[in-house]
Amino acid sequence: MSDREAPTAGGGANVGNESPVIEATVETDEATITDDSELERTLGLAGGLAIGVGTMIGAGIFVFPGLAAGRAGPAAAGSFAIGAVVALLVALPASELATAMPKSGGAYYFISRGLGALAGTVVGLSLWFGLVFATAFYLVGFGYYAVDTLTEVGVSVGDGFVVPLAVALGVAFTVLNATGTENAAKLQNGVVALLLSILAVFLTYGGLDALGVLGRPSPPQTFVPFGLAPVFTTAALVFTSYLGFAQVATVAGEMKSPGRNLPLAMVGSVLVVGVLYVATIFVATSAFESARLASFGETAMVEVGRRFLGRAGAVAIVFGGLLATMSSANASVLSTSRAIYAVSKDALLPRWASRINLRYGTPHVALGMAGGPIVVLAATGRVEILAEVASFLHLVLYGLLCVSLVVLRRDEPDWYDPDFRTPGYPVVPVLGALASFALIGFMQPTSQVIGAGMMVVSAGWYYYYARDVRLKGAL
Amino acid sequence: MTRVLVPLAVLEGESVSLGLMNLLGTVDVTVLGYHVLPEQTPPDQARLQYEKRANETLADVVEEFRLAGGAADSRLVFTPDRTKTIRRVADEVGAAAYTIKGATGAVERLLVPLSGDVDVDRVLSFVVDLVADRDIGVTLLLVTDDESEGRRSLDEAEATLAERGLDVRTELVVGGDPFDALVDASPSHEAVVMGEQAPSLRSSLLGEETDRAAAESVSPVLVVRRDPENET
Repeated sequence: MSDREAPTAGGGANVGNESPVIEATVETDEATITDDSELERTLGLAGGLAIGVGTMIGAGIFVFPGLAAGRAGPAAAGSFAIGAVVALLVALPASELATAMPKSGGAYYFISRGLGALAGTVVGLSLWFGLVFATAFYLVGFGYYAVDTLTEVGVSVGDGFVVPLAVALGVAFTVLNATGTENAAKLQNGVVALLLSILAVFLTYGGLDALGVLGRPSPPQTFVPFGLAPVFTTAALVFTSYLGFAQVATVAGEMKSPGRNLPLAMVGSVLVVGVLYVATIFVATSAFESARLASFGETAMVEVGRRFLGRAGAVAIVFGGLLATMSSANASVLSTSRAIYAVSKDALLPRWASRINLRYGTPHVALGMAGGPIVVLAATGRVEILAEVASFLHLVLYGLLCVSLVVLRRDEPDWYDPDFRTPGYPVVPVLGALASFALIGFMQPTSQVIGAGMMVVSAGWYYYYARDVRLKGAL
Repeated sequence: MTRVLVPLAVLEGESVSLGLMNLLGTVDVTVLGYHVLPEQTPPDQARLQYEKRANETLADVVEEFRLAGGAADSRLVFTPDRTKTIRRVADEVGAAAYTIKGATGAVERLLVPLSGDVDVDRVLSFVVDLVADRDIGVTLLLVTDDESEGRRSLDEAEATLAERGLDVRTELVVGGDPFDALVDASPSHEAVVMGEQAPSLRSSLLGEETDRAAAESVSPVLVVRRDPENET
């Protein structure tokens, strides 16, 4: 990656008379060098992939298969494939922007610099809310797996405990992140490696069985039992399974050799989980009829594991589900805190939101602003709404991200020098934007109303709080 | 000129002992102010809050080093990984050695263990630069199983230093643990100069020998870096 200096063009002040903190920096492979200090880059490719895969895998494999099969039948595999294509169309432009601007804040940062402060505020706050909804969704998924775990060890408590357990974990993660200094990042890498191993065994065995190699009859069923429309609405629902690659961008400022590692981590994690998702649905729908699968609900995969490998299979999946949903939730809490910091640094939220705790060195205010709403939303226990609103807000962000790539490329500023250039420009970003916005159209009206409401509130906040802040082209 | 990196946890009230400052008076010094962050905290976020205070403290330390004799400058790094930062900055400034903090008064005699897989030539040449024409004694310590070979290499090292006018003693220990011998010898010395060892299973389990030496001997340790060219 080449060393370079970028010009600054931003300024203005918010209602509290705070201005964006914008300084020229030099980015090297190993550190960000500012005028008076340096910021070490310590995350490698493995760490980036672990964030991406670790965030995504919990939802797509362990929570959605039953729900998706109930809506679209075996064609739910197609829904996941559609999601993967949309995610890839966005991951490529996102990679280009991330290598041009390897800063924390990720997608928010690119859009605010490409399209200005209004779009930046809407997207920055939407990213915050979107991550909050996504985290609440992972927590509720965890709640289902926790209840199933208790059932496996012989304590049947019923689904009434799902929400209390989800809320308890949400509170625990927020508090632990605000007060803990243990390095959970290494743990995260281990968890992801373990999950991938469990899935490899499970999918190999299930795949052989589904193809008839093991000689067990599969339940006969048509591939697209409910027509094509549910395939698309299901794609909109399960798109939450692909949000993790944008979280890789939120740690862009901490990645070593960002020019190489960011594109590999973002595109790589989407490819890995996309293949796993499609294979999982294939295996799950060949184990049970769609209606049966749907009746198992959020933890349908446990029954699929039981069918193939008996009790050991069920226990392995329950254990994997617990780990996966926890890892998704924790990674998202951290991303949310980073998103809040990025917005606050630019004076779109009060500066105190990015205060660091003197005792623990942790961003306790931002963690609280993440954890508080997460816990409230987890308490609703509405899996599908939480997932769809999270996807809605992210898809808006993804669409605008593709738009800002086109805007930047049409009139490339001097500082714009990405190491990675999107192949197939301009087709890929244009399709990425269209696909992102189109997918929103297939969601439930409730989710659309909530998501749109969030955006209106964000825009209102801009006009009230930060209308004089300028960010376009301000690096 | 020989340069030494002095890492300093600048926001945690860490300071450089006067004895170490004077010992480094003959070499150039880069004070590496660092602040370690938990993974929840983006380095940039900490910078926003602490940069000014950290740089003010660093400026004072640099001034003290200049008064002690050598040329000094400073770098400030916010990092989740202290070891990586020390290694990177040491490479960038071309530091021959880095320090591990410890308390000491005026340094009269340096302990220089040569046991194990260390680059003896680099260590000796650093000791020569560091002592320069000052009245600081050097004890070379070698723990080995092969007495005659050990004696031979100690004599050779002693001759190298004596040739440059240094006051050298040698101590040969046959059999036994090099680390225990170092700890036993440390009370009669005010600082330790030792070579960086190649990473091994032992060091990854027990921690770097250099860090353990600093902890056990309480005195400052100067770690002479391996030749970056020879690393794989």
